[in-house]
Amino acid sequence: MKFLKRINRQYFWALVILLGLISALGYFVLSFILDRKMSEDIREKEYAIIKEIKLRNNLPNIYPNVETIQISENKLKPKVYKEVKLYDEVDNETEDYLEYASTVEVNGKYYLIKIRHSLVEKEELIAAISIPLSILLLMLFTISFVMTKKLNMTLWKDVENNLKAIEAYSFAVNDELSLKATGIDEFDKLNKTIEDLTDKLKKDYHILKQFTENASHEIQTPVTISLMNLEVALQQELPENAFKQIVKAIGAINRLSALNDSLILLTKIENNQFLSDTVVLLNKVFEERIEILSTLFDEKNLTVKFEQKGNFVFKINRDLADVFVNNLLSNAVKHNVQDGVVDIEIRKDRLRICNTGTPNKLNNDTIFSRFTKENSKSYGLGLAIVKQICDKHGLEIRYTKTEIHCFDIYWRNKSQ
Amino acid sequence: MKLLIIEDEVELLAAISSYLSDLGYSCETAKTFKEAEDKISLYGYDLFILDIMLPDGSGLDLMSSIKQFNQQAGIIIVSAKNSLDDKIDGLDLGADDYITKPFQLSELNSRIKAVLRRRNFNGNDEITFNEIKIDTNSYEVFVNGTALNLTKKEYDLLLFFVINKNRVLTKEAIAEHLWSNVNLCENFDFIYTHLNNLRKKIRKVGGENYIKTLYGMGYKFSE
Repeated sequence: MKFLKRINRQYFWALVILLGLISALGYFVLSFILDRKMSEDIREKEYAIIKEIKLRNNLPNIYPNVETIQISENKLKPKVYKEVKLYDEVDNETEDYLEYASTVEVNGKYYLIKIRHSLVEKEELIAAISIPLSILLLMLFTISFVMTKKLNMTLWKDVENNLKAIEAYSFAVNDELSLKATGIDEFDKLNKTIEDLTDKLKKDYHILKQFTENASHEIQTPVTISLMNLEVALQQELPENAFKQIVKAIGAINRLSALNDSLILLTKIENNQFLSDTVVLLNKVFEERIEILSTLFDEKNLTVKFEQKGNFVFKINRDLADVFVNNLLSNAVKHNVQDGVVDIEIRKDRLRICNTGTPNKLNNDTIFSRFTKENSKSYGLGLAIVKQICDKHGLEIRYTKTEIHCFDIYWRNKSQ
Repeated sequence: MKLLIIEDEVELLAAISSYLSDLGYSCETAKTFKEAEDKISLYGYDLFILDIMLPDGSGLDLMSSIKQFNQQAGIIIVSAKNSLDDKIDGLDLGADDYITKPFQLSELNSRIKAVLRRRNFNGNDEITFNEIKIDTNSYEVFVNGTALNLTKKEYDLLLFFVINKNRVLTKEAIAEHLWSNVNLCENFDFIYTHLNNLRKKIRKVGGENYIKTLYGMGYKFSE
């Protein structure tokens, strides 16, 4: 849930609850005041009636509000309040009344006094007061709610734009990360922290990048010198032992060089130094590589089955795509057996490459780690590079072994 | 054939220069950008071997003066591996070929020959070794006048051998030449198949087997 939505939602519910509470409270207070006023009124009337009887011996009767009758019982009854329904001739309907009944003794005679007060008045009064009040409150809250929402949106607009800028930022593209000032202290402080952090990371990134480039160049020069000198030495008349030693040394130096290349490649992928700037059709890359590597397939007399059930398209650096496919195919050849099989199946969203090989299942935990090798002829970097490329491009790779060894590559979020 | 080798690494320069001199090229060297610039403007060369990373400048910046003073000359760029940008820039600026460190001298020789052939300095496209005649223009091979039906790889293999005749070639060097920039699983035994096919085809038309195996680890094309 978005920050704003959440805030607005909480704000809304708080307002609703607050409004309900205020209304209830208002109702009770008003009701209490009116009730008190009513009983006061009744007592005043009672007092006035008693005075009227005492002074003028007059029994006031105003139906339905006042009733006074002389009673024969010489006994005082407790004063009673009760609600009654009476027919109102004027309005032609029954209405609710609060009835007050009391017996009084005046000049040795007993009287029953009934005073009634219409309750409709009270309800109407409460309505008259609370409806405009509620409307006022509701308007107040609505305006405040809408304004806060508007204000939040303008305030967060800058933050959202900055977030987008951060998301789109890449060291490799080498542009400055500039965040818009929001004018709010906390946000601007956050911006500054992010910019400082990015600057530092960018510097580190470039130092690392430079290091890999330098390391690559610096190692390649002595390697080249060694190779050339050994090559020259090889041209002399040499005894078998010396000849073999030199050839072995050349082989080792070539391996060193290839190892250097692979490690630099891994580092470069890890550092995101390859821009995924080309839309590559994996089917096509496979076709090309299968053609190039045909020598290797022939060597082991492998049967290659290439099924294209859909077009697998992804955004990647073109050279990296070659490395990716090359390593997968090389792996399938390298660990294959004589007269074996390589099965490649490409669908719209997944790729499966299987090969015959050792009867044992490979270790799932270490198969993609560096320098995990099945035999001394490989460096154990090929699959590590494939895994790294997968990780950087939102792909998942999984190894399974049924009758043959299989690698499945599919999109991480669209996976099963 | 006059060559200028521009390379800041002294030992590398010496190795390349002595190797190419042995092959009959007249070699001159330059260790810095400045020195190279002077020589380019003063003397004429047929081919330049140009290292891109020089202590006092980028070899790519020398390309324009090469083009200015030695219009007909070939250029082979030498650079560290994986600098793809350099490769594209270099070829865009008019380099004929691009070779990455580390490389073997036999490979460099093969590239030089190819550039010179393309630039037509020899005046003919035929390379002959005894009864074997290679027409580099039509990619045809004749043994005793009979045309051989070779695959692309077999043709490349034979040409590589003939150009580097009398020199010991390792399996790695051959593999690197035939399948450059392809990770071939560090196993070069498959070369054997191509080699045997080539031998068979030459022998079938009465050609001699000039490809000698040395202690099972290297090859030499010689009488």
